[in-house]
Amino acid sequence: MSEETALMTQGLTKSYGKVRALRGVDLEVQRGEIFGYLGPNGAGKTTTIRCLLDLIRPNGGTVRVLGIDPQADPVAVRARTGYLPGELQLDPNMSAEGALRYFNALRGNKVDWGFVRQLAQRLDLPLKPAIKNLSHGNKQKIGIVQALMHRPQLLLLDEPTLGLDPLMQHEVLRLITEAKEDGTTVFFSSHIMSEVEAVTERVAIIRKGVVVEVAEPASLINRALRRAHVRFRQPVDTGPLANVPGVTVLSQDDGTSVLLQVEGEMDGLIKALAAFPVSDFETERPSLEEIFLAYYEASDEEAS
Amino acid sequence: MLAEFKHTLRRMRGQMIGWGIGLALYGLLMVSLYDSIVGIEGFQELIASYPQELMAFFGDADFMAITTPKGYVGLYYFNYMTVIIGIFAVAACASLLVGDEEKGILDLVMAHPISRTALFWGRLLGYVAATVVILLVGYLSWFIPSGSSGLDLSWIELLRPFLPLFAQLLLFGTLALLLSMVLPSGRIAGMITGGLLVANYLLLGLSNLNESLKSFVEFTPLYYYQGGDAITELNWGWLAGLLAVSAAFVVLAWWRFQRRDIRVGGEGGWRLPSLPFRRRALPRGVSRHSV
Repeated sequence: MSEETALMTQGLTKSYGKVRALRGVDLEVQRGEIFGYLGPNGAGKTTTIRCLLDLIRPNGGTVRVLGIDPQADPVAVRARTGYLPGELQLDPNMSAEGALRYFNALRGNKVDWGFVRQLAQRLDLPLKPAIKNLSHGNKQKIGIVQALMHRPQLLLLDEPTLGLDPLMQHEVLRLITEAKEDGTTVFFSSHIMSEVEAVTERVAIIRKGVVVEVAEPASLINRALRRAHVRFRQPVDTGPLANVPGVTVLSQDDGTSVLLQVEGEMDGLIKALAAFPVSDFETERPSLEEIFLAYYEASDEEAS
Repeated sequence: MLAEFKHTLRRMRGQMIGWGIGLALYGLLMVSLYDSIVGIEGFQELIASYPQELMAFFGDADFMAITTPKGYVGLYYFNYMTVIIGIFAVAACASLLVGDEEKGILDLVMAHPISRTALFWGRLLGYVAATVVILLVGYLSWFIPSGSSGLDLSWIELLRPFLPLFAQLLLFGTLALLLSMVLPSGRIAGMITGGLLVANYLLLGLSNLNESLKSFVEFTPLYYYQGGDAITELNWGWLAGLLAVSAAFVVLAWWRFQRRDIRVGGEGGWRLPSLPFRRRALPRGVSRHSV
């Protein structure tokens, strides 16, 4: 493991009785990177994060967080890490400020309280009311503030924008980006693809306890199938287009328009179209969500 | 650990206030009634006429000594305070760690730089301090007004029986804590420990009627509870024994907490094995393996 690696797991396994939650997760996240961890409910995202903090003990494999083995020195890992659980629960009888002061006390009262107020202000979080009187979104904001308030080296965020309105979701993503600019490594799980696509530099896709892909979001998108709709000024024979490598004709209308499926880069198709009287050319860029679903469909087909 | 200790005390302040007020009012009432009860003519004869079976349910107390300060305090306070304050001890300890775990709160707390040992001891010491505060209020509620009544007990005489009471509360509390670490829920741990406490209390009383129970109750904690008898002399051996058993329970609970997963909802919480009759019946001809 190099000095540049913030987080590493090798062959990480974890079972709950007969349920195998993680079946050998291999991950490597570089320092200062925003890393997305994608997967549907029950795929193993939360279990992976909880192993990183020694909240649960893996059955096998190796884990290093900022170069430290969490089982050997969990306090050192947690001191350098900010964590937002996926299902955040707080003592309902405390106020937001009381909860944050308690978390600060657990961190040895080292937090700059001015920064806490600044975060609360940016997230429009009221600090005085009891948590039991706060909305789900406001409780989530307490979770975000406590994760960021000590300016951690590593942020482990499990569904950080859950329950927030779009404006606040945007603000949280800005906070994550700012933390990265300050040198923080961000590892966050989500099943909201648009936010993953917006902020992450690399993503891992986990399925049934196994990481099936690690790549840059753009690379995943570029590698995926996309559709091209071509209109012609006059009827043409679209036969030659079907011979272009990676291109499949999906449908065509009396030679004046054609719907194509393109695998990989568009270069071959565009060169082939130069010989045609093209009046309009549209492509549909797949979202990360479509790619993500494609992974699942492909894996299910393989399994069946 | 200090942060967790303070936090635990802060969270228990409601229980301390509630139990403190209740015990203070009870103590004040019983001290104020002492002179009038002692002054009732033929009171001892009246007590002596009660059936033995009824008396057995008041535990191991000496009813004939009720008109003495020692007997009065022993019967009306220390005799059953193990059960009364025991409710607090068992409920508080059964949920000391597992309560927050079941609510999902412990997940975030444990993600902070606090070791499991520090969290465990911070919370346990918080419980011990809360128990001491409650007992102190109980002590003061007897000691302060006793000067203006015929209840002639010195501060040390009155203090002594609080020590075995404290030891019993510690023992049943730590048992609840240990069971909460090994059973599927804090509620089950609390119910079992509470049941053992009440059963022990009743068995001890019944052993006065049935000699064959004597050999059995010798193995129960309340057999080694002095109650009001500690006013005259404290049995240090018994006290040390109770504290040693409590310490063993604490070490086992701590050891278990060190090694277990911190559970959250939906992450495969564990259960007791299902009983054969609870398994869902399958249609005839369908084996369980084929489902």
